[in-house]
Amino acid sequence: MVAARREDIAVRFLNVVYAVARKDLRAELRGRELLPALAQFVVLALVIANFAFDLDLVSGPRLSPGILWLVLVFAGLVVFGRAFAAEKESGSLEAMLLTPAGPAAIFAGKALAAAALLVACEALLLPAMAVFLGSPISAAVVVTVLVATAGMASLGSLFAALAAQTRARELLLPVLALPIWVPFVIVGGKAVQVAMSGQSLTALPLSSQPLVVMADFDILFLVVASLAARFVLDD
Amino acid sequence: MTEPEDRRLYALTALALAGMLVAAGMIFLYAPQDALQGPVQRIFYLHVNSAIAAYICFGMVVAGGVAYLWKESVRGDRLARAAATVGLVFTTNAFVMGMIWAKPIWNWDPSKTWDARVTSTAVLWVVYAGYLLVRRFATPGRPAMRLAAVVGIVGFVDVPVVHFSVQWWRTLHPGPVIDAAGGPALPPEMLLAFMVTMVAVLLLAGTLVAIRYRIEARRDELEDRAVAAQLELAASHGSR
Repeated sequence: MVAARREDIAVRFLNVVYAVARKDLRAELRGRELLPALAQFVVLALVIANFAFDLDLVSGPRLSPGILWLVLVFAGLVVFGRAFAAEKESGSLEAMLLTPAGPAAIFAGKALAAAALLVACEALLLPAMAVFLGSPISAAVVVTVLVATAGMASLGSLFAALAAQTRARELLLPVLALPIWVPFVIVGGKAVQVAMSGQSLTALPLSSQPLVVMADFDILFLVVASLAARFVLDD
Repeated sequence: MTEPEDRRLYALTALALAGMLVAAGMIFLYAPQDALQGPVQRIFYLHVNSAIAAYICFGMVVAGGVAYLWKESVRGDRLARAAATVGLVFTTNAFVMGMIWAKPIWNWDPSKTWDARVTSTAVLWVVYAGYLLVRRFATPGRPAMRLAAVVGIVGFVDVPVVHFSVQWWRTLHPGPVIDAAGGPALPPEMLLAFMVTMVAVLLLAGTLVAIRYRIEARRDELEDRAVAAQLELAASHGSR
């Protein structure tokens, strides 16, 4: 009986997560606001990197791990910031919170949709880097970026939801999210560096395997964000 | 007009001041010169203790935030507000002193040395500066308290993670000296000077937090009074 009810709660939670994420993605597919702008942003960032660093065949691949993380972090700020700012502007976040759906489930749904948009952004960024900068993009690089995206999305959405409720949200989100993302940039940067230099990630000892360490961070920050989401969204 | 609380704060301030003077005497007159590092080593007493005081302050921010989120304790939030500012001051202190020490000892160059302790302290500083910004930009009252508590707690979780992820590279910062395996790796005179400085610095930090707490309490009182006056005004208009 109790077990059945618990299962029921879990199913209802996942249903809300799915519904909210689907709503966000559908709105994006129909409106096509964020993705085209983000695509332009990614390409422009690479063009600027190309001229600012004066890249050539040697320095392009060498600097690409750094450029990858810079573009990814700033694209993330835009994606997560928009996810909650749009809801706030139309007042629909309050409406969603009035429904019986729990705030944690709504938060998880929005974070999931934002993460999917960031993944779409990465799907453009990585090939574009291979074309513009000659970066060696391998499966290990893709996996590293995806693993980092999970943790960045949970923390980024948490602080975006928080910043959306303040006066200076565009200002506050980078100030809050960037220092909190530092561990992902440090470990992910190292992992991408290793992967791009052609070494195998699994050659390192287990305790310092970047993917294992980052997966640990993902779990930690998913737990932290889901615990804190209630307090951020609930009034 | 001095209220009893204020008088107690004055006494505490005098005590903290005296403690710092005694600590200065211990550092410069009592403790022996370090054979290898020379007089620069004397920074260690204040540097390490400032860092300890900063960690305790941020611990209070977390405790206050938890108290607010859990029990809606406004006092907890006020403690967090007071401790965040003081913690930021002590972090800055530890940071600057560390840099002064590192210059001759490591031949420190920030562009080349991303030490774990330096990075995590920098992140700690930025996180709690962000905490104070949230307080400034959020709607005053309960929303600000709620959002700030979340930032304070999540930021505190992030700091050991940053530390750990940098340590994955090699790190330069000296290992534990007082807490070293097999007892303190210090001559007894240095240890005594360190302990006295620790008491003095913690007393100073406690005094500063108490003063900030008092200021915040008076500020809250002022706001409550303003709200009460508005309510009274509205009521008298309504009854007419």
